[in-house]
Amino acid sequence: MAKYTLIAEPPLAGYDETFGDMRLVAPADFALVSIALPLGGEDKALKAIKTGYGVDLPEVGESVLSKDGKARLLRMAQDQAFVMFTYAKPDAAQVVSNQIKDSAYVTDQTDVWTALRLSGPSSRSALERICPIDLDIEAFAEGHVARTVMEHLGVVILRDAADSFVLLSASSSAGSFLHAVETSIRNIM
Amino acid sequence: MIINHPLLGPRDAAEFVYLGDASLIDRPDWQAEDAMDQFHAYGYLRDNPAGEHKELWYHEQGDRSWLVVTRNTLTHEITNVEIARDVARARGRDK
Amino acid sequence: MSHAGRIDGGLIDRSQEIKFRFNGKWMRGFAGDTLASALLANGQLLVGRSFKYHRPRGVFTSGSEEPNALVQLRDGAHQEPNTRATMVELFEGLTATSQNHRGSLEYDLLAVNDLVSPFLSAGFYYKTFMWPKAFWEKLYEPVIRAAAGLGKLSMQNDPDAYDKGFLHCDLLVIGAGPSGLMAALTAARSGARIILADEDFRPGGRLNAETLEVAGMSGADWAVQAVAELSNMPNVRLMTRTTVYGAYDHGVYGALERCTDHLADSRGKPRQILWRIYSKRAVLAAGATERPIAFGNNDRPGIMLAGAVRTYGNRYGVTPGQQVAVFTNNDDGWRTAADLQAKGVNVPVVIDSRDKPATLNLPGVKHIAGEAVMDTVGRKGLKSITLTSGRVIPVDALAVSGGWNPNVHLTCHQRGRPTWRDELCAFVPGGELPVGMAVAGAANGAMTLAAALAEGHVKAEAQLKDLGIKTKQTDVPKAEDEPRDCAAFWHVGESRKRAWVDLQNDVTVKDIKLANTEGFRSVELLKRYTTMGMATDQGKTSNIAGLAILAEEAGKTIPEVGTTIFRPPYTPVPIGALAGRARGKDFRPYRLTPSHKWAEENGASFVTVGNWLRAEWYTRDGEKGWRDSVDREARMTRQSVGICDVTTLGKIDIQGKDAGAFLDKVYSNTFSTLPVGKVRYGLMLREDGICYDDGTTARMGENHYVMTTTTANAVLVFRRLEFARQCLWPNMDVHLISTTDGWAQFAVAGPNSWNLVRKVIDAEYDISNEAFPFMACGHVNVCGGVPARLFRISFSGELAYEIAVPARYGNSMMGVLNEAGAEFDAVPYGTEALGVMRIEKGHATANELNGQTTALNIGLGKMVSQKKECIGQVLSQRPEMTRDDAIKLMGFRPVDRTRKLIAGSHFLNKHDPADMDHDQGWMTSVAYSPNLGHHIGLGFIKQGDTRKGEIVRAISPVHGVEMDVEIVSAHFVDPKGERLRG
Repeated sequence: MAKYTLIAEPPLAGYDETFGDMRLVAPADFALVSIALPLGGEDKALKAIKTGYGVDLPEVGESVLSKDGKARLLRMAQDQAFVMFTYAKPDAAQVVSNQIKDSAYVTDQTDVWTALRLSGPSSRSALERICPIDLDIEAFAEGHVARTVMEHLGVVILRDAADSFVLLSASSSAGSFLHAVETSIRNIM
Repeated sequence: MIINHPLLGPRDAAEFVYLGDASLIDRPDWQAEDAMDQFHAYGYLRDNPAGEHKELWYHEQGDRSWLVVTRNTLTHEITNVEIARDVARARGRDK
Repeated sequence: MSHAGRIDGGLIDRSQEIKFRFNGKWMRGFAGDTLASALLANGQLLVGRSFKYHRPRGVFTSGSEEPNALVQLRDGAHQEPNTRATMVELFEGLTATSQNHRGSLEYDLLAVNDLVSPFLSAGFYYKTFMWPKAFWEKLYEPVIRAAAGLGKLSMQNDPDAYDKGFLHCDLLVIGAGPSGLMAALTAARSGARIILADEDFRPGGRLNAETLEVAGMSGADWAVQAVAELSNMPNVRLMTRTTVYGAYDHGVYGALERCTDHLADSRGKPRQILWRIYSKRAVLAAGATERPIAFGNNDRPGIMLAGAVRTYGNRYGVTPGQQVAVFTNNDDGWRTAADLQAKGVNVPVVIDSRDKPATLNLPGVKHIAGEAVMDTVGRKGLKSITLTSGRVIPVDALAVSGGWNPNVHLTCHQRGRPTWRDELCAFVPGGELPVGMAVAGAANGAMTLAAALAEGHVKAEAQLKDLGIKTKQTDVPKAEDEPRDCAAFWHVGESRKRAWVDLQNDVTVKDIKLANTEGFRSVELLKRYTTMGMATDQGKTSNIAGLAILAEEAGKTIPEVGTTIFRPPYTPVPIGALAGRARGKDFRPYRLTPSHKWAEENGASFVTVGNWLRAEWYTRDGEKGWRDSVDREARMTRQSVGICDVTTLGKIDIQGKDAGAFLDKVYSNTFSTLPVGKVRYGLMLREDGICYDDGTTARMGENHYVMTTTTANAVLVFRRLEFARQCLWPNMDVHLISTTDGWAQFAVAGPNSWNLVRKVIDAEYDISNEAFPFMACGHVNVCGGVPARLFRISFSGELAYEIAVPARYGNSMMGVLNEAGAEFDAVPYGTEALGVMRIEKGHATANELNGQTTALNIGLGKMVSQKKECIGQVLSQRPEMTRDDAIKLMGFRPVDRTRKLIAGSHFLNKHDPADMDHDQGWMTSVAYSPNLGHHIGLGFIKQGDTRKGEIVRAISPVHGVEMDVEIVSAHFVDPKGERLRG
C-alpha cells in the first residue's frame, strides 16, 4: 500500500442543478479519447473502429453511438475523432487503443476537457446567448457535433437528444464556462 | 463574414484566424542555388490585389484545418474555399 | 396637470392609467403611450433646449429620427441621457428630466447663447478660439464643454445587465410596417425560417399611424391580424423593440433588442440584447422618414412633422394643438389636415407650396396655394405663423411636410450608394446592396400603401425562390394608391430669420451657405464643418434638405452633390450592450492551474499570465513583503527542494511515423535522433530567422513525442505546427493534439528533489541517476498506481524533475508533494521565485525571446542545424543577422553591489555619450538573487561574449538612473551544470 493517495477532483465534479425546465449536469466518470487516423493507414483504422465499436466512423460534424450503446464516436476532423464514454480510471486511452487494436494514434483527452450536459425544452434558447452555431433541429440534428467558440472559449457542442446538448470546454477554464452557461440560463428564465 | 467550410458548411469568420497570402504554401527549396533570394521573396514580398485574393485561414475554433479562401478584397465576396492540405498536395509539395 | 392634448381614439389602453414624472412634476398617461405622446397629452410642448443656442424645443417627430425631444430617463445609477422621448414607452413611475439647460427648462440661463448667435455660426470655434493658443486647453475648451453638449452621465457604474446572442434564419425582414408584414406573411406561409424585427413596441409601422384601410379594415387592425398569424407560426420569430442597426458581410446583421427598457425594473434580467443575426436573405422594409422645410423660426415647440402629427392623432389620441395649420410641398401633408379634422381638431389652413388645386377637398379648411410659411411667433409655444404674403395666422401648432426620404441607411453599410429619383425628390437604394438584401416598400421608393404591400410580397417571394423555397399562394390585400405627388421645396428663401435645417445640431440655412462660401463644398466636408447630420439622430430629418441647399448654393443638382454615406449603427447602441457580459471579472475567461485550490489554502498570491491565474508566491507568517516570500522560496529551493505548478506550459501530443522528421523541420535542432526516453531542449525560429519559441520535447515512444511550449505561445505554436503539417509538408504522417489542460505538471527542484520524488513514485520504478539520468523521461506510476510522466529537466539549474499526473489529481498531487517534502522543509514556489532562479541560471524567456533576437544573440547559434531543412534556417544566415558585432546574451551585476538594476536600461561604453549612436544593448531581465545577495541582470550587449569583466554604464533615462555594471557570464549559479547532473 502506497503511503500517499491521490484523490481525483475533476473541475466540476458533482455539479447537478435544475433551472426551471432545464437541467445542467457535469456527467460523472466522463472519459474522452482522441483517435488520429494514420496517413495511409486510414482504411485499416476505419475497419478496426468498425470492428471494435460495431459502427462506421461518421462524417466530420457527426457522431454515432457504438453498437453496444456504451461509447459515442465523434468525428472532429478529417483525420481525427473523439470517443466519449463512461469510465472512471485514468487509462482511458489504453481502453480505446485496445478496442481498435492499436490501428490509430490515441491520446487521452479526458482531463483536457470538462463536460456539461444541458437538457430540457429551453436549452436551445439558453444556448442562443453564447453559441454561434445554428441549433435548429433541421440544421443541427441529433448526433451532430461542432467545435466552435462561446464566450471566448473553445467549445465542442454535441446534440445527444432533441433537447439535450453536451458541451465540452477546456478543464482549466471550466469555472468560466460554467458561469457562461449558468448566466445564459438565468438570462432567459 | 461567413466562410463556407468545405466539410462543415458556413461558419462565422470569428472561428477562424487569418494568416495571409496563400503563396505561403509555396515555401522555397532550402537547397536551391538562390535559396536566400527565394526565401526573401517568400517571406517579404506580397501582391496586394484590389480584387480576387487567395488567402490562408485557419479554423482554430473548429476542425483545425487550414483553408485556402478565395476572397474579393473589394467586396469581401468569397468565391471558393478549399482545404489547404489538398491545395498543397496539388501544388506538388512532397513530404 | 391637464389632459389638454388628449383627443378621442387611438391605440392606447385608456383603462390603464400610468403615472409618470417629468422635471419633478407628476403627469398621467395611458398604456400604449410613449413619453412623447404622454407629454403632448399633458400639454407639455416644451421638452428641451437645443444643443448650441439653448432654444426652447418641443417634440418634432414620432419615431427614432427625433432630433429634439431628448431626455434623461430614470435616476441614480440608472440615469440614461439622450433617450428619445418618442421611443420611450411609458411605464408606471417613469421619471424623466429635460436636458441642456442651466436653471430651469423654462428659464435657461444659457439661452443668452441665442442672443449672441451671430458669433456662433458654423465653424465658430475654429475661428474664434484660435488665439491665444494657450487659452484653448485651459479656458475655451472647458467652458465650451460645460456649456454645450447634451445630457449628463450618472458617473456611476451601469447597474444593468446586458447580453448578446446569435440567431439564424432563412429570411430576415427588417421593419414590420405594411411592406415588412406582407413580406413576412408571404415567406412564413412557405415554412421558411423568418425573423421579423421592428424597432417599435407595436408592429404595424405607418399602419398604426394612418387611417388608410387594408383588406376592408383599418390598417392597424390588419396589422394585428397579420401579427397574430405570424405569432402562431413556429418558424417565425417576431422581434419587437428590436432595431436592426447594421448590415455586415455575408448576410450578418446586428440588432439591438430592448428587453426591459419599457419596465420600471429589469429584475436582474438583461436590459438589452445585442443579437448577431445570420440570414440567408433579407428584405429591408425600413419605411421612410419625413423631412421638414426650413423657414424662419421653424424650431418652435408646436411645430412638428405632419406625419408625426398624424401619428399622435391616430395612434395615441393626442394633438399638439387645437388650431393646427399644415404646411406642405406634397399630397401627403393633406392627410394630416383630413385626419385631424376628422378627430375634431380645427385645421384653419393648409399652405401648399405648389401652385395647384387642393389634393383633398376639406370643407372648412382654407387652402393657400403657392405660398409658404416665412416666420413664426411664440418662444415656448407657437402663437402664430407668418406667410410669404405677409399674412399672419394665429395657430398653436403647425404640421410641416417636406416629403419623405426612403430609409436607405442599411443599404449603404457596405457598397451601396443611393441614387436620386426626381419624381420622389429623394434618394432611393442604389449601387451594390449588401449580399442577399432586397429592399421593399417605402424604403425602396414604393411610397403608396398598395405599392408597399405588393412590393413586400414580391420581394419576399423572389428571395425565397433564390433559396429554392417555393412560396404558397398569398394574395396581396386590397389597399389604395393614395396620392403622393411631391414638389421639391427645401427652404423658404424669403425668410430673413434663422431657418433650422438640423435641429439637433442647431445648423441653419445660413450656416450651410456660409460653409459653401468658405469652400466646404463637398457634402462630407459640409457635414464636418457644420456638424450637420451628426449626433444621435445622424441627420435623419436634416441631411437631404442640407445637401439640397448646398446644391442650390453651388449651382449643382442634388445628384451631383451626392449624399453622405451611412454607417452602422442606424440608431445609437449603448456601450453597455456592445460590452455585453464582458465587464469586471467577466471581462475575459480565466484559467486555473490544477493546484489552484491548494495554493489558495496555502497563502498564495496570484498573478495573471494570459488568461491563467498562477501562484506568484506563497506568503508565510511573519513575512512583511513579497520579497521576503520570494527570497525564501528561491533560497530554500536551492538549499533543499521546492515545488512549482508548471501546468501552464503548452503541451502538444505529437504522434505519427514522421513525427521525428516533422520536429526536425519545425525546430532548429534535430529531434529525429533523440532516443526514446529522452528529452531535448528545442528552439523554434520564425521563417525570418528570429527566435520564436523554445521548450523541451520528450520522446515518449517510437512515434510519440510530447512537446512543451512557453505558456504565452501555446496556442500560436500549435497553429504554426498545423500550418507546417497541412500546408508545408502535407504528406507526413504526423498528428497533433493539445494536452495542456490534461496533465498537471510540477517542477520539483533542488538537491533533495530526488529524495522527494522517490517517495511518491511507486517502488518498482528505478529512477537512480544511472537508470534515469539528466534529460531522461518516462512513464511511471505514482501514489500506488496512478499513471504519471516523469521528466528529468531543470529550469532552475538544480537537480530537478518534472512530474505530470492526469489533471484531476493535480490538486491532490500538490498536497502530497508538500506533505512528503515536509521532512526536507520543501517549499512551494511561485512564478517570481521561478523567475529569480531562471535569471540566476541564465535561461532566456519571453524578455529575451522578444521577437527581435536570433539564436546567435541568445548564445544558441550552434543550435541552428545547417545539415537539415528547418523553418528559419535560410534567412537566419543573412549577413545582418550573423554580424561579428552581434549582441549577445550576458549576465550583469552592479559594481556597487547594493544597487538595484533596472530592466530596460541601455548599455553604454564608459566614456561614450548617452545617445542611440553609441547604444551597446539593453538589460532584459533583473532580479534580486537571494543566493548571491545582490541584484543580477540579463541583457544583450554587442560582442558580449568577448567582453567578460568589462565595466559599462547601464542607463535608464526614464528613471533618471545611471550606474556602472560588470559584464559577466549569464550563468550566475553553477556555471558548469554540475548540480543538474548530480
